[in-house]
Amino acid sequence: MSATDVVEVSGHIIDSLILAKILDEIIEAEADYRIVQMDVGKAPADQSRARIEVTAADEEALAALLARLHPHGAHPVTQPDAELVAAKMDGVLPAGFYSTTNLPTAVKVKGKWLEVENPEMDCGLVVAADSNRARTAPMHRVRMGDLVVCGSEGVRVRPLERPSGRSPFEFMASEVSSEKPKALLVAEVAERIRRARAGGGKLLAVCGPAVIHTGAGPDVATLVREGFIDVLFAGNGFATHDIESNLLGTSLGVSVREGTGVEGGHANHLRVINEVRRWGSIRAGVDRALLKGGVMFECIRREVPFVLAGSIRDDGPLPEVITDVVAAQDAMRAHVGDVSVALMLASTLHAIAVGNMLPAGVETYCVDINQAVVTKLADRGSHQALGIVTDVGLFIRDLAEHLIRD
Amino acid sequence: MTDAAGSAAPAPLPWGHRYLVCPPSHFGVLYEINPWMHKEVQVDVDLAHRQWHDMVANLKAAGAEIEEMSPVAGLPDLVFTANAGLVDGRRFVVSRFRHQERRGEARYDAEWFAAHGYEVLEIRAEADICFEGAGDALPYGHSLLAGYRFRSDFKAHSLLAETLSIPVLSVELVDARFYHVDLTFCPLDGRRAIVNPHAWDRYGRTVVERLVPEPLVLELDEALSFCANSVVIGTNMVMPACPPRVGRILESWGFDVCVSPVTEFMKAGGGVRCLTLALDVRLGRNSSS
Repeated sequence: MSATDVVEVSGHIIDSLILAKILDEIIEAEADYRIVQMDVGKAPADQSRARIEVTAADEEALAALLARLHPHGAHPVTQPDAELVAAKMDGVLPAGFYSTTNLPTAVKVKGKWLEVENPEMDCGLVVAADSNRARTAPMHRVRMGDLVVCGSEGVRVRPLERPSGRSPFEFMASEVSSEKPKALLVAEVAERIRRARAGGGKLLAVCGPAVIHTGAGPDVATLVREGFIDVLFAGNGFATHDIESNLLGTSLGVSVREGTGVEGGHANHLRVINEVRRWGSIRAGVDRALLKGGVMFECIRREVPFVLAGSIRDDGPLPEVITDVVAAQDAMRAHVGDVSVALMLASTLHAIAVGNMLPAGVETYCVDINQAVVTKLADRGSHQALGIVTDVGLFIRDLAEHLIRD
Repeated sequence: MTDAAGSAAPAPLPWGHRYLVCPPSHFGVLYEINPWMHKEVQVDVDLAHRQWHDMVANLKAAGAEIEEMSPVAGLPDLVFTANAGLVDGRRFVVSRFRHQERRGEARYDAEWFAAHGYEVLEIRAEADICFEGAGDALPYGHSLLAGYRFRSDFKAHSLLAETLSIPVLSVELVDARFYHVDLTFCPLDGRRAIVNPHAWDRYGRTVVERLVPEPLVLELDEALSFCANSVVIGTNMVMPACPPRVGRILESWGFDVCVSPVTEFMKAGGGVRCLTLALDVRLGRNSSS
């Protein structure tokens, strides 16, 4: 477990090369640093001041390094403990609560840094009564008496390390990838997925209805069947059209094979929803062999967890759809813990909702024909999102080929 | 006068014409706080007195004005006035000695400066921050070159810079034999200085390289003669020793060298510079004429 502390040094540290020496000492000790704050003097008599966050392999290495830095005037900045205020009522954070980012975060409690267990943006930070654990808590999950971090003292946020070497994330640096060669991107995404899975990470797919409309349903189903997708988030539309295409061969009334409308097709999805409601659940349809293929079928058969979250425009909805959005959020949260790669496939609202929920370190690939969706996800703080502007059907077919062929 | 390149000679140091000294009535090696001090090596008291009086005569002959402070029994190193503190105009920053053995000196140093109309300042510091005066801080150009590690702390430099509003360049001393910066650096004029890079880490060497356009770089054996611990009065120099090569260079640069042996004081680790404290120093933007 790495150990971190912040040191401060002031004086004529630039002209005297003291800063250079301190930074070199840190690197020579195989530790790492980040300049947290730097005030550079302007006139010759002005002093400069630097705050440097030092991270070493463990507490012992850190203490040894700090002892070496001490003669050069670098002294640890004593960070106060975080201020903890007990919540006075359920579902309400104390005023002045610390609002989280999705970055790795630590809280200082009783002189000890606690790593936040589940980084998520726009939450509060709750410290366990025994002062040994800290977790993020969305507002509605806060309970009276919870110890909530207030103010920003005693809270440390670590920016993400830049991935080294060639990686698809290099494409993220400037813009969304509308002008990048797609075949290369797909190959790289496949490679990243393989690497993440080798490291024990889970793959989350967030699917919009266009996945079915564009004919990619069978490919997603294959990815589930072959064990590449570990958890699925979607809405009423995706599941409905997936089932519709398997029962009636259409998606929103359009033949998936022919690409043409079928007579009376406009009502197909309603008839499907109605039918599933008669079964009692999608799972009941699978159990009774009424539904024999598709993404939902494969998920149920392989016990791949899925969350279907409802929205205001839903028809039906299907029995598995969670219509209480807060309950749906919580159901999704329960699955994001060990996700390391997220594929956002032609989904706007669900992609952004999930993006907000994921720790910043999760590699997120957002595939959409509409550049605005991808941009929106990045704007909302999901900085690890690589946007791929392309037809989702073609993308998934390529991806499935790459993953399954290899 | 012109130098070899034919351009105008560098401006002489604007300071170094008035010095504070302290007679060696109570001098001796009574404890060991640097690698030069060995209690079993006895000081020849008579010789020490002769050397000290000769030095004062040589300083006067070289054009220096001399002020004397009274020696105090039990404070043998009070004779090394360079460590009393740092003078800036009519201000005096009194030292905070590293070793308990010398801490008693500060009171007498502060008293002398107060009695002579100086504003006596202390660096505003936490208890354990040390600073040993002009022994570890020499003016050069617009800056103060200050040493740290053995006797002074880097933190003291930033406090000093703050107290006096001056730029301080810090160099880390890495050889205990050269425990004060005045054993490693001797400003000669506006462009030149005697430098002893063996005493500094690589960062310190770079700092001095940038600071001094024309350094006289000492070999280690030359530095061990304490020749950097010299006093410069215009173009006259009073040196505890002067290795031949160093002497030739100084002569070619137009300096008149007077060697004034202080071997008895070198047994305590100090040369001519250590035995004197320049009183006419103005730091920072006023340090050049």
